[in-house]
Amino acid sequence: MIARGQSLFRRLSLIIATVLLLGAIILTTAAWYYARVAADDAYDRLLVGAALQIADAISVQDGKIGVEPPVSAFETLALARNDRIFYQVRDPSGAVLTGNDDLRSTATPSSLSQGPVVADGRYRQIPVRMVTVRRLVPEPAAQGWATVTVAQTREARSALAEDLTAKASLLVLAMCGLALIAMMIAVRQALAPLRVIDRALRSREPKDLTPLDVEVPREIFVLVTSINHFMERLSRRIGLMNRFIGDAAHQIRTPLTALIAQVDLLSTETNPTRQERQLARVQERATELARLTNQLLSHAMVIHRAEIDQFEPVDLVGLARRTLSEAVPLSLGRPVEISFEAKVEQVLIEGDVVSLREALANIIHNALKHGARSRLTVRVSADAERASVEVIDDGPGIPVANWNRVREPFQSGDPAGTGSGLGLSIAVDVVRAHEGELRFREHSGEGFAVVLTFRRLDAGSHASPPFLQEP
Amino acid sequence: MLLRLIGAVLSCCGLLAGLPAVLAAEVTRFPAPGGEQSVIAIHAATDLAAMKPLIQDFQALIPTVSIEYNEYVTNDLFAAAQKACAAGESPMDIVLSSSVDQLVALVNQGCALSFRSPQTAQTPSWAKWRDEIFGFTIEPAVIVFNRTLVPPEDIPRTRGELLDLLRAKPDRYDGKIGSYDITESGIGYLFASYDARTSSTYGRLLEAFGRAHAVVHCCTSDVLADLAAGRIALGYNLLGSYAYGALRAGAPIGIVIPRDYNLVLSRAVLIPAGRHRPVGALRFVDYLLSERGQRVGREASFFFGAETPLPPEVDGPMTLSMGGTFNPITIGPELLVVQDRARRARFLEEWRRSMRGADGQ
Repeated sequence: MIARGQSLFRRLSLIIATVLLLGAIILTTAAWYYARVAADDAYDRLLVGAALQIADAISVQDGKIGVEPPVSAFETLALARNDRIFYQVRDPSGAVLTGNDDLRSTATPSSLSQGPVVADGRYRQIPVRMVTVRRLVPEPAAQGWATVTVAQTREARSALAEDLTAKASLLVLAMCGLALIAMMIAVRQALAPLRVIDRALRSREPKDLTPLDVEVPREIFVLVTSINHFMERLSRRIGLMNRFIGDAAHQIRTPLTALIAQVDLLSTETNPTRQERQLARVQERATELARLTNQLLSHAMVIHRAEIDQFEPVDLVGLARRTLSEAVPLSLGRPVEISFEAKVEQVLIEGDVVSLREALANIIHNALKHGARSRLTVRVSADAERASVEVIDDGPGIPVANWNRVREPFQSGDPAGTGSGLGLSIAVDVVRAHEGELRFREHSGEGFAVVLTFRRLDAGSHASPPFLQEP
Repeated sequence: MLLRLIGAVLSCCGLLAGLPAVLAAEVTRFPAPGGEQSVIAIHAATDLAAMKPLIQDFQALIPTVSIEYNEYVTNDLFAAAQKACAAGESPMDIVLSSSVDQLVALVNQGCALSFRSPQTAQTPSWAKWRDEIFGFTIEPAVIVFNRTLVPPEDIPRTRGELLDLLRAKPDRYDGKIGSYDITESGIGYLFASYDARTSSTYGRLLEAFGRAHAVVHCCTSDVLADLAAGRIALGYNLLGSYAYGALRAGAPIGIVIPRDYNLVLSRAVLIPAGRHRPVGALRFVDYLLSERGQRVGREASFFFGAETPLPPEVDGPMTLSMGGTFNPITIGPELLVVQDRARRARFLEEWRRSMRGADGQ
């Protein structure tokens, strides 16, 4: 079940929009701050200029200090058209020569010696920008510093600052808008390959499990590879199933038809002796059919389990011993000597117990049924790399010419076709799934052998699994 | 009303007692023709005769408003308005004066109410400041002459010509030149300071006036009366509107718009800050600035406009703004310099010295 999560597009949009908004706020604040500084800077020049002009108009006539503020000073200040103007001229003794008596400058003599002092202030509760300059009055009689203070309301500054801020904000907004649009296009672009894949999958025939052939960016390529890998596995599996079902149907249909024919014969037979023989034949056929069905089912199971990747450590010695004791029927109809040999006490391989047991049991069954005349030996051995199980009998064995053929399902080593040859093919499948090897050994001193070889679990590594170290 | 009556009584008593703090105002009431619903108190430094047609036309438009017209001389009005502003509670709905520098000082002190309307938007930018003070007239400073005393060839059309005339015929015009006593007349001081700023002829003109024993008066009307009566022959820098009013009333005078440069004053109006819902005042200012108010003012009292043709019999260019000599007194912070007390003291000192210097000779 796919959980339908939040839209990727919406999430990305939200994150980027938030970042942009934060950025816009920061930028606008910065713009406002710089605009204020710039506006102050621009209008401070006018203010200082006007104050210097007034200071320049301070003169001494007949030993009296006087001042005649020039029109140009006021015209300079009037460039900030809507701002109110306050000013004051003091002589060296501190007496107000002209202007607003109650205007108070915050400038100190020491700060004034550095040049004009510009500061924010208040006049009659109105916020103003204020500049104070000083001028040496040269006459010896009244030697000292006269001061000129000029204050101006902040309207023009605020208007300029607002104007600059508004324009900067507009730019910031435009930039954010562009970024947002670009982001949306980018996200759509980035998600577009997914739609391509979606279309490619949708437009397929239900049976089409061939790999996807679409051109996708590197970032999406992994996804397509995974899909293709998955489809390949699916396809292989379905192929196996199809083959199995086809074969199984064929295999079961033939003995069933034969069985039905036998039963028909039985029902019309009146001779008791022949009837009895006929019944034995029906029994034989039914047993054969049951065995075949079991084998088919176990084959299906093995095919199914082969797909399971989760193997676990298996002790091959124990497994072989148990399988042998379970596989040998109580009566064989002939005396056969069964023996088990283990050259090692325990050897671990990685595998699936159930399918391994099934494979081994099938080989033993085959050997008992078609081979062993008087002797069957199961031998487990191991070297540094490998572990192997041999099933040896003293029967005729499988002719070398048929070795490859018997590995295929439904090919019996017995040309007469008494039983299905599923047993060996199951074993072949299991061994292949365990990345092992199934070999035949021609008559040696002891007889025909089927050899299963697996890779040891602790092969080539000196670090043994912990349970081996137990005493 | 009662308070105002008491105020009037008190001011009468004050006058009787000779207290200097009380400022004289002449009060005239224009009762609402359609039944009084509200009162507008106009405090003005303008002749009632000039404002009367406007007030009556305003009442024709809005008949439920009574108008109380308080007439001052400019300096008294300024002092009263400043006092009211400092007190925070102004009894004035409207302050109207030809001494625009004083009104600008009031605006600078934060004593005026800011307001905008379609009418205020139409006012040229040089005639308003901060949307608080609005010029509503166009009044050129003119040279006026007595037609019987000044022969046509003597009529001066520039300040230079006036100087030449005084130099050429000193005896004929001795004691026959009239102008403002700028120590008393706000408008005289304003015109003189602009003259001093605009042209270098001012100093020489002042000297020439001193030598010719110029007669000075507090007010335009006094100079005009002298001119009409023939006591003087030439008047300098007189308000064109009053001069043309006298001409229309039959005075034997002629009016010349100076051709070198033409100072133009715009009489201004403001609404004191701190008035609660000054609806009547806003309407009255809107009316003054409206096309109708402008037309009525031009036809009945002020006669001049920037773009309209000059009134008949006035010697000058086709219109005031024509010919590049139109020099309006900008209503703005620049006018604060006119109010500077150190500057004023020096300027008056210089003026006195020039005038007295002539006496000393």
